[in-house]
Amino acid sequence: MNLPVLFFLMLKASLFSTSGTGNVPSLHDDLLARGWATERQFAEALAVGQVSPGPSGLWVISLGYLVGGMRGALLALVAIVLPPLLILPVERLYRHAQEHPAMEGFVRGMSLAVVGTFVVVLIDLLRGAGPEMSSVLIVLGSMALGATRRVPVVLTLALGALVGIIAYG
Amino acid sequence: MANLEAKVYLMLSPRSDSPPIPPPPPDAPTPDLTVPLPSSALLLRVWLALGIQSFGGGAATLYLIRRAVVEQHKWIPDAEFARDWALCHIAPGMNLLGLTILIGRRLAGARGIALCLLGLLLPSVTITIIITALYARIRDLAVVQAALRGVIPASVGLGALMAVQLARPLLAESRSERRASLLLSGALLIGTGLAAGLTRLPVVLILCASGGISALLRWRWRVVEERTTPR
Repeated sequence: MNLPVLFFLMLKASLFSTSGTGNVPSLHDDLLARGWATERQFAEALAVGQVSPGPSGLWVISLGYLVGGMRGALLALVAIVLPPLLILPVERLYRHAQEHPAMEGFVRGMSLAVVGTFVVVLIDLLRGAGPEMSSVLIVLGSMALGATRRVPVVLTLALGALVGIIAYG
Repeated sequence: MANLEAKVYLMLSPRSDSPPIPPPPPDAPTPDLTVPLPSSALLLRVWLALGIQSFGGGAATLYLIRRAVVEQHKWIPDAEFARDWALCHIAPGMNLLGLTILIGRRLAGARGIALCLLGLLLPSVTITIIITALYARIRDLAVVQAALRGVIPASVGLGALMAVQLARPLLAESRSERRASLLLSGALLIGTGLAAGLTRLPVVLILCASGGISALLRWRWRVVEERTTPR
């Protein structure tokens, strides 16, 4: 694996996203195509990102560690800190071009595409885990728990782990 | 999980799902001089505390940031905080880092940006790396692999829920405008999914194409509307 290229791919993914997990589809595409990461590593990193403190966007740091060790994690950190600095020129630009329909339209179109491409990643992740009936039931169960907004994410994932151990252990 | 962050913020301020951007104050980002600006040590201490406490994802982090800078220390008025947060949704990368950068600049310029980012990231990144490293040592155990076969669908479920929550306000906003707008949004949602699933197109290209199509059409509609609306 080529670390500068890994850094560039992470930077690109973060640059063309407007949220912490918006970089998932692009990285998933690039790293799997090169054979630098597995479906399982993506799932693991996303779960760590949910469990650890701070923004869930830190999942990339976990992925960086899994595929490139400490250096991978630190490169991931730099790759996610640089793009948000563009908020400074965006803030300036916004004061000139606020409410322009093209600007609003671009953001909405990109946000929709993030959702559309993210669904494909979810399907791939599930396929990697084995698309059995029990998996589908866990998916529906965790959606239901999440929708209540009362159950902490950590607890939902822990329940998933428990079901996994009982069903497959 | 940007939407969850937005949700929590919106729970704090009675607004619609997609945060509208309030008009900028005439001389932003000049800080309000009636409140004494924080020293470097205080700034670092406050943001380190935020970085350590914010278990529970971005929603918890946003809640804690707002409580600290708006309510406890009164460094930033509520309306300015809302505007900063809305702006972060259109800037690249993680919204919470963008917010941290804007707040840091208001409080102490470039020094503020560096201190706030350092404070937020040092604890949370360290803990993320430690959890990953511990996990990497046990990831090949049979029991961990069995557990993972339950954790993956569970996190897919949470991801699917997030996708629904992200899409809903976008579609609702489109529906309130005109039929073609809703059709466009639905087509972009499904079309980008199909493009990512069935073709080898780079995802970044799909994102930009979707943004570009949406920008052009919505701009065009606005122009037509303004022409046909009687003055």
